[in-house]
Amino acid sequence: MKKTLFQKAICLLLSVTTLLGVFGITSYAADGKKGSNQDTASSLEDMQSLVGVSSYEDYLAANGDSFVSGLPVINIDLNDMVAGSTGVKPSESDECKQSFADNQQNWANFGDNWENSIYLPSTGQTTWNFKIPEGAASYYYIKIEYYSCITSESSISAIERKFKIDGKAPFDEASYIKLDKSWSFDQVTVLEETESDKEDGVYITYDNTGKYFDDDSYYKIVETVKNGKSVKTVYKMSVDIIGNSMSPSIEQEPQWSTYYVDDSTGYYHGYFRFYLLNGSHQLTLESQREPVIIKSIQLIPYEGEGDSIPSYEQVLQEYAANGYQSASGDITTLEAEFPDFVSDSSVYATNNNTSAQTYPSAPGSQIFNVIGENSYNSVGQWAAYKFTVNESGLYKLSARYLQSTLQGMYICRTIKLSGGKYGYEDGTPTVPFMEAYDVQFNYNKKWQSTFIGDSKGNIFQFYFEEGVEYTIYFEVSLGSLKELIYRAEKSLEAINDCYLRILQLTGSNPDPDINYDFYKYMPDVPRTLLVQAIELMDIKAGFEELCGTNGSHIATLETIAILLDTMGSEEGIEIAANLSNLKSYLGTLGTWINDSKRGGMVVDSFSIVPANATEDVLPRAKSNFFKSLWFEFSSFIYSFFTDYDMMGLTTKPQEDVTETVNVWLATGRDQSNIWRSMIDAKGGFTDRTGHAVTLKLVTAGTLLPSILSGKGPDIYIGLGSADVINYAIRNAVMGVSGGDKNLTQEENEIFLNHYYTYKNPDGTYEITKEYKGEENLSFVSQTFEENVGDNYIQAAMDTVTLRGVSYGLPQTMTFAMMFYRMDVLAELGVRVPETWSELISTLPTFQTNNMEIGVDYISALDFMIYQKGGNMWLYTDNEDYAGAKIGLGTDIALESFEYVCRLYSDYSFPITYDAANRFRTGEMPLLIGGYTGLYNQLVVYATEIEGLWEFCPLPGTEREDGTINYDSLAGVSATVMLHGCNNVFAAWEFMQWQSSAEVQASYGNKMVALIGPSAKYETANINAIKDLSWTARERAAIEDQIRNMSSIVNYPGSYIIARYMKFAFLDAVNDGANPVDAMTEYLDDINSEIRRKREEFDLPVLMPDEDPPTTSKSATK
Amino acid sequence: MSQTSEQIKRPVQRSEMSKIQWTWKEMKRNKTAYFMLAPFLILFIVFTVLPVFLSMILSLTDFNMLEMPSWKGVTNFTRLFLEDEIFILACQNTLIFACVTGPVSYLLSLLIAWFINELPPKIRAVVTLVFYAPSISGQVYLIWKTLFSSDAYGWVNATLIDLGLMTKPILWFENADYVMGLCIVVALWTSLGTAFLAFIAGFQTVDRSMYEAAAVDGIKNRWQELWYITLPTMRPQMMFGAVLSITGAFGFGAVVDALCGFPSVDYAAHTIMHHLNDYGGQRYEVGYASAIAVVLFVIMISCNIVVKKALSKVGE
Repeated sequence: MKKTLFQKAICLLLSVTTLLGVFGITSYAADGKKGSNQDTASSLEDMQSLVGVSSYEDYLAANGDSFVSGLPVINIDLNDMVAGSTGVKPSESDECKQSFADNQQNWANFGDNWENSIYLPSTGQTTWNFKIPEGAASYYYIKIEYYSCITSESSISAIERKFKIDGKAPFDEASYIKLDKSWSFDQVTVLEETESDKEDGVYITYDNTGKYFDDDSYYKIVETVKNGKSVKTVYKMSVDIIGNSMSPSIEQEPQWSTYYVDDSTGYYHGYFRFYLLNGSHQLTLESQREPVIIKSIQLIPYEGEGDSIPSYEQVLQEYAANGYQSASGDITTLEAEFPDFVSDSSVYATNNNTSAQTYPSAPGSQIFNVIGENSYNSVGQWAAYKFTVNESGLYKLSARYLQSTLQGMYICRTIKLSGGKYGYEDGTPTVPFMEAYDVQFNYNKKWQSTFIGDSKGNIFQFYFEEGVEYTIYFEVSLGSLKELIYRAEKSLEAINDCYLRILQLTGSNPDPDINYDFYKYMPDVPRTLLVQAIELMDIKAGFEELCGTNGSHIATLETIAILLDTMGSEEGIEIAANLSNLKSYLGTLGTWINDSKRGGMVVDSFSIVPANATEDVLPRAKSNFFKSLWFEFSSFIYSFFTDYDMMGLTTKPQEDVTETVNVWLATGRDQSNIWRSMIDAKGGFTDRTGHAVTLKLVTAGTLLPSILSGKGPDIYIGLGSADVINYAIRNAVMGVSGGDKNLTQEENEIFLNHYYTYKNPDGTYEITKEYKGEENLSFVSQTFEENVGDNYIQAAMDTVTLRGVSYGLPQTMTFAMMFYRMDVLAELGVRVPETWSELISTLPTFQTNNMEIGVDYISALDFMIYQKGGNMWLYTDNEDYAGAKIGLGTDIALESFEYVCRLYSDYSFPITYDAANRFRTGEMPLLIGGYTGLYNQLVVYATEIEGLWEFCPLPGTEREDGTINYDSLAGVSATVMLHGCNNVFAAWEFMQWQSSAEVQASYGNKMVALIGPSAKYETANINAIKDLSWTARERAAIEDQIRNMSSIVNYPGSYIIARYMKFAFLDAVNDGANPVDAMTEYLDDINSEIRRKREEFDLPVLMPDEDPPTTSKSATK
Repeated sequence: MSQTSEQIKRPVQRSEMSKIQWTWKEMKRNKTAYFMLAPFLILFIVFTVLPVFLSMILSLTDFNMLEMPSWKGVTNFTRLFLEDEIFILACQNTLIFACVTGPVSYLLSLLIAWFINELPPKIRAVVTLVFYAPSISGQVYLIWKTLFSSDAYGWVNATLIDLGLMTKPILWFENADYVMGLCIVVALWTSLGTAFLAFIAGFQTVDRSMYEAAAVDGIKNRWQELWYITLPTMRPQMMFGAVLSITGAFGFGAVVDALCGFPSVDYAAHTIMHHLNDYGGQRYEVGYASAIAVVLFVIMISCNIVVKKALSKVGE
């Protein structure tokens, strides 16, 4: 009965939605007030504008080679903005004014540009009108002068804008532009002038022996001597008490820079040129990430090949013409671990103990002595070093490095220079000659120390003038490999396309014995496969020619080519049998391309060497045998004595336990190190409150036994909300909202009052209940209510609250969102579904193309109840009886349960699937899953589809009044205070500090800085989210979903629900049982378990047919 | 140690002292042996014997891991046997599991060991490794998860779909119909472990001359040789193997968790071990879990006694 009714309903819905599809959609789009995922999802038009944009190559071919020479530079009038632009003058922008008022230092380099520049905030778009005069139709470079300002909208990301001319991206590669920011280390001090008998010049020395300063930190000392007077600039890299370097904190340097629109992906060297016809045009910058201030946009006429960057040959001729000779002075060595500037916060120094020759190296401790490895390997990242030579002349560069990642391949860096005759006036570096895009570092398992040159065997010479401060930039690039990698990427696209086409004909599990007649239905598929087989072999040959060897890395291409060849030949008869192989090889090729693009190497030092020097003067690559042996041996011995608990501590932990907050967390080493450094930093927790903190990294199962034995911590970070309630009801965690009956009245008072900590100038701390003014005020302990404030949504707080007492502050919050492949949806002409019924109505389109929709059934079972307006529990309004009975038996819940089961049984949604892989191939263009989990995976795993996917809130369920409920469910972990805590006040202060928006945002950003974009942190503090490094669109989507969020409250016995729901679901899906019957069967079991559990804790219980005794309100909200 | 002739005393008679005195005297006399035994003994008592007694005591309380327990008498046991349906189901599963995997894996170990014993030494070493490998390679049973993946791309699913035997993937480890069978197969596959090695060693220790003597005495065939000579000689190894098989069969839980998730669908492969973990780990009812442990302990001990009796019949 039910089945037919349901099918009828679906048929009806289908026909209605199809009808609506014609005209309804536009009306929806216009009426955004109703609220649905459409508010933040890309529209179909947006997605379609993404695909079908030509490449730069085609763009140049289409516009021809002709240009007009001798044209004047065209300045775009920045005030000529079209209506609706979000750009404003800095003097009229609240953010800029506020930022200036807060910290004038950030505007020190800004100059007097308040009126003649434009501030582009991190959201919205700005469009300028400009005109190309009669007869000036030609190619132009586009030059932008910008200021990387710091305002309240800034985070750690680079500045990204969508770039459009006349409303659309002129070609694919220029659809996004990335404006660099510059970061520098903040521990720099300048020592006073002293007498010196050295000759005039600049001397750079390094020291970690405590020779100059009374501690073991590692120093770079730049000594400038002039007329017998010396000034020292000292850069400090701090160490902890056992001699390990600690990540230096870095700060953004707001500065003016010059940018020519170029390729941020590294496939094109040089600047892009744009063909502009006579007449009016519009140039648009659409915000993706970060605010920026723009001073000028200029169109520089193209003057033919080589007009912007000379060739090395030209440079050499110029040297000869000027009569430059080799310098003869000293070698200047720049330790790579001390960059003066870096492109982003994730480029940082690290430790490498593989060679005793690396300076400095200390067996047994991890002192930062190199830069590189995983933190400095993606295209566009750079590290820059300042230096000054003491004699004018020609110099060569050398490096001591270890490049052992990709067997048989070399990696490339682009060298840019500023200072002297190099670079722009504002200090932006330029590439000195075209070949400097292609500085080559060869593969070797051992350390190397060589001169720097290109693939053609040139060793580059640079002219440096005495006494001028130069900055040299080493930027990760694809160098001469760019064409081959680009071709491999295009090849992957073509093969992937074939794969999806094949799926249309055969489905995902084709019968190898059937001849699908590819030559008849899709003759181009076998042909393309053959072409791509040849292409891959050709690419492989190209690599062999460039690298001169046949490494294992390159051999992968041949394996794939052989498969393609088999599949393509004999009229495609082998396609079906090999389809699953092809699928896995697609993944392999994608990973291969990722690896090839990653220019990871470890650099110990760079040297600036007079041009006539030979290799003998370079630092030794390898240490001698005995030195290595001793180094290895002592490292081994030291490993027995390293106290890992001391890692990251700058002071010995105090004996006085009552003053120390004992904190445990069960995450990774990186996370723990970040917390450690944040606690110890100047302005960190200890500095502000005077409470010392011990931080221990433990395994997740340790907490329970530790509480039992009384050795537990005071604070535990990241306890799942179900456990919070489990522990709370057994009196193992403390209520922090002031109503915990296990705490004394005094202790409860702590959570309900203000306490002010004043840090006296002599370093002592004073805690008072009275406010004594702002002076010396270093920390304010607020009430629980204030801490919750608007930091957490109610749904998150509910999960850690039991009978009116909250047992922790939420730490992380995860929830499901919808990920979609824009290119696939655009091709199918399907918009992002707004409701579940719309999703089902688009299903045929997907299924005819053998595509699937991935929905995680466990979360769908839960959130569907809430989307339909139900609740997992009954009587939630009744304090005594809340959680006494399960709400799964209500009509709404059963209906939603049946609905979800039908998705899998009737619409064949896959139950088990490899989400990231199928999303990557495009087989699963719609995917519902946890937002950070999937995002973090896709962003590193599937770089070839970068920019082709987005995520938005879940599809919703229509309410009776026509609005849409698109709730997702929050999964919360919390920071809790454990029973037996010695110093409730100190622990409470720690909790407040640790979960404050500022600290959470800073932690999230440090995670991304340290680990990379795949370490997005799912903070529960919604005020912290705006400062994390999401793009404006991503942030809007996340915030939209957070506004539409429910949660399942934890009551005694909660654990049983998910279990039986899963059983019922599997019964329905496996054996075709009626979902409603299957679920109903388990209701008694669930209720009796809940009853039993409640009896254990002396809570009022309800018998099966019983309702709460008082005026019971039905609980559906 | 060495006694001078003057000190010679009359030997002490066993009947002159109480049992305790006698034991104490014997212990003093053999103190070196006890000293050498001590490290193991202390660890064994602290970490094995003591917990067993502790759990017996805890089984009479409502201990919840976090608070002081209070005395409950035998309520845990009455609840266990009279109210807990899932426990009965778990017992049933455990028995099926133990009865199938225990003896089968035991006999399989014995037979394969016997067979391998007949091979030339070099080949024997290789074949031994092949059979023993699954049980030493840690979590290698996860290969079954790949084989029987619920994904349409899983090996078995994909093959069956290819062959046209079905259209939708089967959720092998999430379907009550298959879970038990699969788990038994995996258990057997990994069961050729230490017991199997002990058997191989046992076969090696049999004195060759016994076979010759037996041949003279009228042994007619290899079966008789096995039954009357080989097996009786290696009774200690067989006992050792049997104990391992029993504890293995009853304690088989982690593999099921890894393959089917916890708990398995509809409790289809829910054993006593799982039930114990469920209450001890998820529901924080350690008192109740201890009661389960005690029951499991009793079952295992009685099995051991039965097996010991049975083994004493070997060769008779």
